[in-house]
Amino acid sequence: MSYTSQVLPFNYRRLADGVIVALSTSGDHAFLKEEELSQLLSNSIQFSLERQADLRARFFLRSDNGSQGTKRLLKSRQVAKRETIQGGPSLHIIVPTLQCAHSCKYCQVSRSLEDIGHTMSLENLNLACDTIFQSPAKTLTVEFQGGDPLLRYDLVRHAILRINERNQSESRNIRFVVATTLHQLTIEMCQFFKEFNVFLSTSVDGPSDLHNKNRPTPSKNAYERTIEGIKVARQHVGQHAVSALMTTTKESLLCPDEIVDEYVHLGFNEIFLRPLSSYGFAKRNQARLGYSLQDFSVFYLKGLDRILSWNRQGVELREVYTSIILNKILSTFDSGYVDLQSPTGAGLSVLVYNYDGYVYPSDEGRMLKETGDQSLRLGPIGTSIKDLLLSDVQQKLINSSLVDETPGCQSCAYNRFCAPNPVDSQAQFQKTNAPVHLTEHCQRHLWLFDTLFNKIKSADDWTLDLFYRWARPVIACEAL
Amino acid sequence: MRRVTARFYGEVGRKVYRVVAYDNLHTEWEEHLNFVVLAPSDEVKLGIARLKQSGLHNIHAISGSDIESGDIIIPHPEKNLVFVLYRESDMHHSLFLTNRCNSHCLMCSQPPTKNDDSWLISDAIDIISHIRVSPAVLGLTGGEPVLLGQALRTIIDAIELLHPTTRIEILTNGRLLKDENLVQMLTYELKSSVSWLVPLYAHADFIHDFVVQAPGAFEETIAGLLNLQQRQQPIQLRIVLIDPVLKILPELCQFIGRNLPFVNVVALMACEPIGFALANQEQCAVDLADWEAQLRKSAQTLDRHDIPFVLMNAPLCALPSKLWPRARRSISDWKNVYADECNGCSVKEKCSGLFAWHERGWKPTKISAIEETLS
Repeated sequence: MSYTSQVLPFNYRRLADGVIVALSTSGDHAFLKEEELSQLLSNSIQFSLERQADLRARFFLRSDNGSQGTKRLLKSRQVAKRETIQGGPSLHIIVPTLQCAHSCKYCQVSRSLEDIGHTMSLENLNLACDTIFQSPAKTLTVEFQGGDPLLRYDLVRHAILRINERNQSESRNIRFVVATTLHQLTIEMCQFFKEFNVFLSTSVDGPSDLHNKNRPTPSKNAYERTIEGIKVARQHVGQHAVSALMTTTKESLLCPDEIVDEYVHLGFNEIFLRPLSSYGFAKRNQARLGYSLQDFSVFYLKGLDRILSWNRQGVELREVYTSIILNKILSTFDSGYVDLQSPTGAGLSVLVYNYDGYVYPSDEGRMLKETGDQSLRLGPIGTSIKDLLLSDVQQKLINSSLVDETPGCQSCAYNRFCAPNPVDSQAQFQKTNAPVHLTEHCQRHLWLFDTLFNKIKSADDWTLDLFYRWARPVIACEAL
Repeated sequence: MRRVTARFYGEVGRKVYRVVAYDNLHTEWEEHLNFVVLAPSDEVKLGIARLKQSGLHNIHAISGSDIESGDIIIPHPEKNLVFVLYRESDMHHSLFLTNRCNSHCLMCSQPPTKNDDSWLISDAIDIISHIRVSPAVLGLTGGEPVLLGQALRTIIDAIELLHPTTRIEILTNGRLLKDENLVQMLTYELKSSVSWLVPLYAHADFIHDFVVQAPGAFEETIAGLLNLQQRQQPIQLRIVLIDPVLKILPELCQFIGRNLPFVNVVALMACEPIGFALANQEQCAVDLADWEAQLRKSAQTLDRHDIPFVLMNAPLCALPSKLWPRARRSISDWKNVYADECNGCSVKEKCSGLFAWHERGWKPTKISAIEETLS
């Protein structure tokens, strides 16, 4: 046999500071010198045997012939990167009502307390609960979204009891999550949540001023009531029963440090620096509420620096967006983040049972409906999961999210980690398959991958240890 | 294995015996096994003669200073020697199944031969039958045990039948396991807990193949590991710390983290200074203290990928103290010694010590007593 090096397909990107990052089809990366890149591109390998060995181990090179072991290894690596959506829909979102006591200006869906007609019928709720079990997934997350689901605690309780009873014979591993402002939380609810291992996900946008500005209520004390709710939940459901998500508004952009510090003071160990999506009411008010990727990136980098400095002081705080990207780069076990799956996680791993009696492929999909775009409806609640996934809409979503067939993705260095987001595309361009490089989704993720590769390249030992810990897949709010 | 001088009384053959105390004979005796009674007095000899007369032909007598009740031995009466194949009181137990091998590793401690040694298979089955107290772990070693093919499965089945609580560890280079049918035959409906101890010496084919002196070995071993994974077999990867391996150790650990995260544990093992290792000292005789930075970096890489690892055969004075909690006392009892310098060492109890033949070969580092205590 011959050990002569043969170059395997790879892609690369030039990053800031002259860094060249190359990615092989296994998802392994290597930082290349200019002359190494040109030798790889011209298939005339002259660098040291030691370097050749390193690049063999990362699937940039292999011996001319006879490599049955590494061929199989490469195949299994490629399959592992895309196995999340193989198991059937695992996240089932039920929207029992759109009612909410807040009137956030960027919120596209919520309706006031006096509103009628934006609540799910009991018949549809029962059908939704039963449909969930048609998924073959062994582990299921059932999440209640709104509006504020606790305004219809009766429906939430009914659904949890029904699903739990059915599960006595199904024996799935089920996790319940309620996304709520916690303003309506009572001790009685807490006792029920504790009994059924219900996890609470709330919203904290930052310190009191910012939060109350972002989330107006008639009594102007949204922050104080949420904080009180967190306290009650920790005391009566469990210390780790509550997590928080933040929405980055234009006002937030000015105070990343204060937001991060607020999460530390509240004792959370995760924070998700995520940008506002450009749909719905928010989109109509783009000029007033919107901001550019550039604006967001400055905010994100400052916030991330602050988070790292807290960690250096021994305070464990994990940034979820960074962890999602690091999971793609540094771990071979995919954490299953819905927006970066090919084919798309929308529908294939998430289904949303909406108050209006229809099933949508993702949370963003049902929000589009509120702005008049019903094109992502998969079918009425009660339709079998099999038929939902065979629907024309779902097939269109799948076909619009295939990395290997999408121009722009095919040659992208990050195509083992990323994928087009057809739901975002629909929101931005009213079609599921707009040219990827025009989408906010693509621009943002290219920037994130570029940024984190630069950070990995320059990281010291301590930071890299932390990055590897963050990269490990965890079941957390990031699937949402 | 131990060679021990002994005296025999009466006709013993070249077969497997269990050593037994005369007082226990009546509880241990079984018709299909062979026994030698230990250190017999005249009175005992008479007793044995009487038992033989009454038809118990499977009892003989032996004396020797380093023979223990429960030992499984093969006598060589013409040399007044016995080979002790199994000793109950040892920490490590293994069966030597063949001297043949398809690799010729630079540092092989047991240089292979080509001769037919298939009698080792029936010896192994006899030893398994004669073991009195089931060991917690029983290693199957060679040579390359998988060369036995179907006979290896027969041995596994014998252990499973007679010692159902024993965990089996098979030390194999994994090359033949590239054959899915063979892996299927070896693992089909296994009831015993079996794990596979497979060496991997590099992250790239040409380096691994050089270390094992066999072109194509890397690809075969990788395929073998994937076949074991497919059948959910527990795997320990073994890495012997010789010069060409230490040079690339962090990258090898990275390769394992990225590509073989399914392994249960990685064993980083200091080289045994015997066999081919003596002939290849240039590659094999390393001072581990010189490689501290590489060892730390490799440990860090394995930790980052959440791959458990242990250090074997390496005395604590050869390792950075940060790695001490990962070090194991791994040298088989009969070849394990300590140096003079070890007297007065505060961590001797926790230390692997040295291979008995380090005097003829080399020490893994300059041995020195450690004064502070393990925290």
